[in-house]
Amino acid sequence: MSPPLPSLGLRRRVERVGAAVLDGMDAGFELARTFGATVRGVFRSQRPPGEVLAQMYVIGNKSLLFVAVTLGFIGMVMVYQSCLQLNRITGDLSQVGPEFLKLLIQEFGPSITALMLATRVGAGIAAEIGSMKVTEQVDALRMSGVTPIDYLITPRFIASVIMTGVMTVFAVLIAFAAGGLTAASSFGVNANTFFDPGRVRVFDIALGAIKTLSYGMAIPVISGFCGLRARGSSEGVGAATTAAVIGSSLAVIVLNFIISGTGLLLLGDGR
Amino acid sequence: MIRFVDIWKSFGGKAVLRGMSLEVKDGEVMFIIGTSGVGKSVTIKLLIGLLGVDRGEIWVDELRVDTLPERDLYPVRKRIGMVFQNATLFDSLDLAENVALPLRKHKGMRQRDALAEAERRLAQVGMAEFAHRYPAELSDGMRKRAAIARTLTLDPEVVLFDEPTTGLDPLSARRIDRLIRTLSDEVGVTSIVVSHDLTSIFSIADRIAFLYQGVVHMVGTPDDFRGSGDPVVQQFITGRSQGEMETPGF
Amino acid sequence: MKAAGNLVAGTIESLGATAIHLSREVGGITLLLGRVLRCLVPPSMDGRELVRNMYRMGNRSLPIVALTAFFVGGIMVIQAGMYVKQFNAAGLVGWGAGYSIFREIGPVLIALMFSGRVGSNNTAELGTMTVTEQLDGLRALAIDPIRYLIVPRVVAMVVMLVVLTVLGILVAIVGGALFSSLLLDLEYSTFYYSLVDNLDWTDFLHGIVKSAVFGMSISLTSCYFGVSVRGGAIGVGRAVNAAVVAAAVSIMLLDFFLTYLLP
Repeated sequence: MSPPLPSLGLRRRVERVGAAVLDGMDAGFELARTFGATVRGVFRSQRPPGEVLAQMYVIGNKSLLFVAVTLGFIGMVMVYQSCLQLNRITGDLSQVGPEFLKLLIQEFGPSITALMLATRVGAGIAAEIGSMKVTEQVDALRMSGVTPIDYLITPRFIASVIMTGVMTVFAVLIAFAAGGLTAASSFGVNANTFFDPGRVRVFDIALGAIKTLSYGMAIPVISGFCGLRARGSSEGVGAATTAAVIGSSLAVIVLNFIISGTGLLLLGDGR
Repeated sequence: MIRFVDIWKSFGGKAVLRGMSLEVKDGEVMFIIGTSGVGKSVTIKLLIGLLGVDRGEIWVDELRVDTLPERDLYPVRKRIGMVFQNATLFDSLDLAENVALPLRKHKGMRQRDALAEAERRLAQVGMAEFAHRYPAELSDGMRKRAAIARTLTLDPEVVLFDEPTTGLDPLSARRIDRLIRTLSDEVGVTSIVVSHDLTSIFSIADRIAFLYQGVVHMVGTPDDFRGSGDPVVQQFITGRSQGEMETPGF
Repeated sequence: MKAAGNLVAGTIESLGATAIHLSREVGGITLLLGRVLRCLVPPSMDGRELVRNMYRMGNRSLPIVALTAFFVGGIMVIQAGMYVKQFNAAGLVGWGAGYSIFREIGPVLIALMFSGRVGSNNTAELGTMTVTEQLDGLRALAIDPIRYLIVPRVVAMVVMLVVLTVLGILVAIVGGALFSSLLLDLEYSTFYYSLVDNLDWTDFLHGIVKSAVFGMSISLTSCYFGVSVRGGAIGVGRAVNAAVVAAAVSIMLLDFFLTYLLP
């Protein structure tokens, strides 16, 4: 006699969870494949001429002011909070500037810039490609023998890698300057004391660079992927855009965690 | 009685209504007809204050409505209902909840009672079996009927219909026509119908107002129109595309 | 020379236009705030819509907030960990991570995620309703769209963001404790005491007040852009974009001011 089956409700729920997990894994594999195809597309020249430059312009235009304002405020807030806490505990604010720069280069500059870009640029890419998908322009591309990934995602990929780097450098500079302003005006920290890059090591720059590169690659691939999967009509495009923003943001956080964690483990006993 | 007095309304510099005047008698079915873009929908939206007049007066019995602030328009809107062209049911609620909404808000009914009453009213328009479906799942004709049921929950004295039969198959269109006619004959509702459906116009209208070049070019009974010698009127009602009539946009 | 002059003139013109545009939006949002507040004192809104929205918004964002918070806890610990190795200050990890999570990273990041998920969805919904004349439909039924549609959403968003922030902070702390044990060989008790001994209720409240203000800002901007949509489906897309950007900038701005103003 076979054991009794679990109730229908419970079974359905388990089935739904199982199906969701399998869907998730499928999507994950698709995403990895998209990434591989995108990178391969860099070396084949199927993109429209000048598209990379055009995309770079779009990214820069859209996000320059946004990143500047955001990182400016963040720089001020972070320095303010640190000075406040340090005043409570040690009262010595001489190291705030150098330590802040180190943290900016290695952690907050790349990550926060990437989160802002994920919202702005990621949404834009998903919306553009998604609209093309639901109006069947992507199918039309395939008919003319062009790989959509090479044509659509790869140029945005190259543009994003370059512009994320540019934006991050820009962001670090702005945040540092804004932080120095705050330290000087609210806590009387001398400008020379603050703007001292002495504590920045090669390790920090390497970490920051790896993060910037990873984020610059992840955002367009994930957003393009979501765009290509858009279904239906304008609602589908909207759903793709939201998925792109959330997916890219989450990817930035997870990548940050992995890279920082690896960095920590490699650090050993001090530097 | 509803009176439009010398109404002027422009959009983006272009004058759509240029001194339009019209009187609608209680209990009658008045059709407002004309080509697309001539200002028919604008007219009825002005009546309930969804749009504002540039110049002119609108009177509902002894009350002047075009100068009322938004808050004071609510009592007017309970007396004058509107059925929109694309039904505008709320897509997050099913049909019964849609119809129940004004019952809850204005008649103070509890959800359970409101839903029961809503199902009864949906039955009156033949939509009882779809009471728990969502608007997105239904055809245009079904949505229109549900929208009519919803508008009628407030027992309005006047109902405005914005192109009720446009885009519907002939069977559904005639059903809607019958509904409008029944409302007038059995309940005494005044109906103002914006339409360019000639079959509707000539089967259920008591009077017709022909809007042309921003004014009421002619108003009268269907027979008046059929027998009219005016070339523009004749061109419209016989549906000819050539003639002296000015058709913006073509 | 003339070309340079033209460029300058053009830039000033576009800056001026942006300023006017910006002040119009800010003005519109402030007006909306006024109307919403009038419906809150005394509280008069559609209860059914309130509950429905709270359920949907919470449901939609809980997984993403939990996941984000978990990893952010880890990141904070990793950052603190770099100093531990340098200064051998294991006792400061709990404090360091907790301080930034409670006061800054927690409220700001969770608000950003919430804006991206719930805020954009809300704008899209209201935008679509505006374009399909459902708002006019409400008015024609003598139902005030502000009271029926907007106020419940504003309240729901503020409440849900505060709840999610509290939950998120907790998850981040748990994640932090976990990773400090895994990566730094730190005892759970060390982490816990470091946190509890150095932080108090004011730090926690600092973050909660911030999240309430962020919630207000996100809900007002997303509702405002939703109901002022013009131009069909493309207009809706543009409104969503504008709403998300406006929310993000306002979060940063408000964070800045609140950091100064709150203890």
